[in-house]
This record gives sequence, structure tokens and C-alpha cells, in this order.
Amino acid sequence: MALPLYERRVKHFFASLIILVTLLLFTFTLSLSIGSAMLDPVKVFKAIFLKPFGYSAEDNIDVIAMLRLSRALASLFCGASLALAGLLMQTITRNPLADPYIFGLSSTALTAVALGIILVPNLMVYKVYMIVVSFLGALAGYILTLSLSKLGGGSSLAMVLAGIAIASLFSGVSHILLYIVQQIVKTPYVYLLMGSVSTVLQRDLLFLALPTLLFAALIPALFKPLNAYLYGDEYAKQLGFNPTLVRDSAAFIAALLTAITIAFVGIVGFIGLAAPHIARFLVGSDHRFAAPIVALVGALLTLLADIVVKLVSLFAGAVGELPLGVVTAVIGAPFLAYLIVKKVRE
Amino acid sequence: MKIVIEDLEVWYSSIPALRDISLEVSEGEMTFVIGPNGAGKSTLLKTIAYIVKPKAGAIYIDGKSISRFSPRDLGKIVAYVDPQISKTIPSTVLEFLLTARYPHQATLGFSIQRHDLEIVEKISRQMNIAHLLNRRLDELSSGELQRVLIARALAQKPGVLLLDEPSAFLDLRYRLEILDYVKTSTEMNKITCIVAIHDLYLASLYADKIIMMNNGEIVAAGRPEEVLKKELLEKVYRVKIHLLNINGKNIVIPLEPIERIGLWV
Repeated sequence: MALPLYERRVKHFFASLIILVTLLLFTFTLSLSIGSAMLDPVKVFKAIFLKPFGYSAEDNIDVIAMLRLSRALASLFCGASLALAGLLMQTITRNPLADPYIFGLSSTALTAVALGIILVPNLMVYKVYMIVVSFLGALAGYILTLSLSKLGGGSSLAMVLAGIAIASLFSGVSHILLYIVQQIVKTPYVYLLMGSVSTVLQRDLLFLALPTLLFAALIPALFKPLNAYLYGDEYAKQLGFNPTLVRDSAAFIAALLTAITIAFVGIVGFIGLAAPHIARFLVGSDHRFAAPIVALVGALLTLLADIVVKLVSLFAGAVGELPLGVVTAVIGAPFLAYLIVKKVRE
Repeated sequence: MKIVIEDLEVWYSSIPALRDISLEVSEGEMTFVIGPNGAGKSTLLKTIAYIVKPKAGAIYIDGKSISRFSPRDLGKIVAYVDPQISKTIPSTVLEFLLTARYPHQATLGFSIQRHDLEIVEKISRQMNIAHLLNRRLDELSSGELQRVLIARALAQKPGVLLLDEPSAFLDLRYRLEILDYVKTSTEMNKITCIVAIHDLYLASLYADKIIMMNNGEIVAAGRPEEVLKKELLEKVYRVKIHLLNINGKNIVIPLEPIERIGLWV
């Protein structure tokens, strides 16, 4: 029974992997084709993926697609890192309703970034420093929430409530600061709040992509402590893992991943909540399988949301674009409603 | 493996939980720890598993102090069956059972050995949980979960097996079947098995040695017929006891409480 079951699980994993990668390639090509000049997705696919094999594109398709490349890649990596951070957060809080923002990480990171821009306006230019500031903010938020929840008894309920308290406080503070930042950066502050991938530059992509790829490779290697941690602190301890070390290093990675997306894209909600559930539905809770799948699911969801953003701005024709976070919220909130009905009622 | 405990003392912040515990447990034997609520039974087991760190004293496994084992090596040797595990994140019985093999694997290894799956397979057949492997932990009945928890500990192939209330939630048949199975595998594999239990009936049936605890101290220790005595049991449990001798074993029958909880006072 154990062996065939396990083999079936492995088969599910590879099937999901192949299907998701295919969908991702398809969506990615679609994303490159959509814009003020609509391109033929087949030609775009050839121009992008067959280029190394000596295929030369017609009508400057490759040039236009390349211009859109950084935006598509940004949503891809942003989605992957948010989904990974969400998976880690759900594991270390052992709470299926946790997301990367549950510890108030997003609002403290945003507060730090806003504060940084007000104090040193040049900060905007140096993305590395932006990431560092945002990361420090996220880390501070994690420490604040954790100490508050320890004061409240350390239960997972105390943790969630402490997260809400910290998140509300700093979301207020960051709104005030971002309102001031508007004067400096001359963009409406809704974009900084709700997230947009349209502003990401090609040369910044490296900062977004490298950590995501690094941790995506790291988590499957560290899957055993994470799996053991799922069943309780004492359980992990008696298998020879240090639960505090597992929790702190996972939180560190999650904070870094969240901070990077906030520094580049802003707050994009619900990806980190929804993707882990979808991944677990597909391949189970074993992190070895769930971590790669969750990254792909997150990337796919964010790419789709960004396509919606582009389409709405093309056809509604209003000034500027919808923030990405608005679209993910509209898609994600019904999913949260589903979770409430299905999980909380049990 | 032989366990020697010397002058053990454990405190939970400012409250003493164990005092002056000294004992020896030999391999291939089932030692039952009995005593009223709060006597320190679980604390004793958790201290041997090194989940709780002692304030003073030492525990030796085959002559080596447990503080000198690496956590990994201890995980290979000692399995503690915690009656409480977290199951808020949904996962299947098979996923849970496979974690038991982690102390025996390299931490960074990616693939699962066929050998590990075979061990899980064999034990889940023996514990009659093979049909549950694909079920979610939070969908099991408490009796099924209890069997899964014990199967996990056995899949760890420990030298020292610590069972905390293994009979809780089990029906008559499984109480006897599981303790019978644990006893057989204790004797066959030369395991050192310590069981903390409330059910004195099971203790008298299966124990090779019994340790009776009260208020964090050992009150009596020895063979079942030496420990299961009327006066001692009545003094520790504050319950009137009748002893029945069946097949040369003292079976404890609790009759009534010595002090009644007065509803009319």
C-alpha cells in the first residue's frame, strides 16, 4: 500500500509539474503578446523561445516582445516568491489561513521604504538599498509580531491577532508616509500600495529573480525539517531538528522574499494565501513536492492577474492602469470565502 | 539499551516537576510508569527523550550521557510518542509516517529510499492502519490516530521507546492488541520500552517492572507484585482498592474514592 501510494504521489508531482510549466509558457507568451500593439502569440513564442536556434522574427516582433519581457518576468518572479513565502508562513505558523503578510511584514516593509524615501530621496535609484531597507522593515515587523504574540501566550491565535494589530498600525503609518512620498516621486500612492509590475526595469530583474531562484532551490533541500515542524515543536525536536531554528530561518527567508516583492512591486495580496492551498491540493503537504509546485502556481496566478490588468487598461481606456493588487484581491477574495466555508466550518 | 538515571531534577520555570529520580531500566523489558495526574510521568518520558532539559542529574543510555548525543543521533535511538500532534495543516498518514525515517536519512537527501517505504509498509500492516495511509490525519478517529502515532514511533526503529498514554482512546481489542504487539517487538528487538499509563489493569497485565510516582518523586519501583499493593495504591491514588489474583497477576479493581467530592457542602 505504501509503495504504490508513494509512486502515485510522485507521478502526480511530475504530471502537475509538466502541466504547470506548459501553462506557464503559454500564459507567458500570451502576456508578451498583449499590449497596445497586439501580436500573434505563435509568432511571439517563436521569436522568444526559438531565437537561440537561429530563428529570426519578422516585423520587429522580437523587439516589442523584449520590451514587454521585463514586466512579464517581474510578475512571474514576484508571484513565485510570494507563493513560496506564503507556504513557509503557513508552515511555521501551522495555520492554513496565514499568508506572507500575516505578521504585518508587508506594512512594516512598506513603512520602512516610505521612511527611507522621505529621509533619503536618492534611495529610489539604488534598488539594492531599497531591498535592504524593505527587508529590515519586514524583519522588524516579524520580530514585533512574534514578541507581541509571545506576550499574548504564544498560541497560534495570539500570533494571528498580533499580526493583525501590527499590520493595522503600520498600514496606517505607511499610508501617511506614502501620502508624503507622493510629493517626492510624483506618482499616485495607490501604486505603491497596491502593487504594479509595469514599473520594473530590466536591470532590476536580477534582484527579483536571483533570491527567488535561490530559495526555490533551497526549500526542497530543506524539506525534512519543514515537514517535521508541521506536526509540532516537540515532534520536530525528537526527530533531531531544532524547531526554533527551523522557524526563525524559514521566517527569515519568507521575510526576505516578501521584502523584495514589496521593494519592486508593492503589496500584492492573496497569491501567498491561495497558491499553497492549490499546491497542497495537487501534491500534498510534503514540502519536497509542494515547494516547486507552489512557486509555479504563484507565478501562473500573478501572470494571469497581470494579463487582466493589461486587458482592462486597454479596453476600459482610463488613465493609467489598475494596480495588480486590486486584481489579485478580486480573484483571491472568493477563494478566501471558499476556505472559510470549507475549513473553518470543520 | 540500558538506561540509567541519576538524581534527576526537573523544574518548569519555578515549579519543581521531578525530584531525586534515580532508576535503571534494562533492555527487552516493558517498564510501566504509573501515578495520579501531575505525578510527573510525562515529564519523566520527555526528559529521557531530551525534549525537556533537566536542571540537575544525568541520564545515561548505554553509559553515555544523553546531553553528549547529537540531536540527530538521539533521534535515531529514542522515540517518544506524543499523544498530541498538530494537524492543522492537512497532511496524509503516509506523509506523517515517512517523517519517522528522517533521523536515519541524510538531512539534505532528496529521494526516499525504498527500504524506508518498506519499513512503513510493514508496520502499517501490523498495526492494521494500511487502509488509512492515504487518509488525512484530521479525518481519523481518535483510536485510529493513536495507532498511527504508535506506528510512527515503531517506524523510527528506536532502541528506546517511550509511550505516553498509549491506551487512551483505544477500544478493548486495540488496547490489548497494541500492547501485545509492543511487548513482542520489545522482546524481539531488544528495545527498552517505558510506558506512562493510567490504566492499572493494563500495567498489571504487561509490565515487567512498574515505577509508581507521586508529586514528582518515585514512591515505589520493582516487579508488579511488589508495587501493586493495596495500602500503597490507596495512599497514592486516594481510592479504595481491591486486588484480584488472576493467573498469578495482581489485577487492580478500584472500588470507590476515599474522600468524596461533596456536592452538598
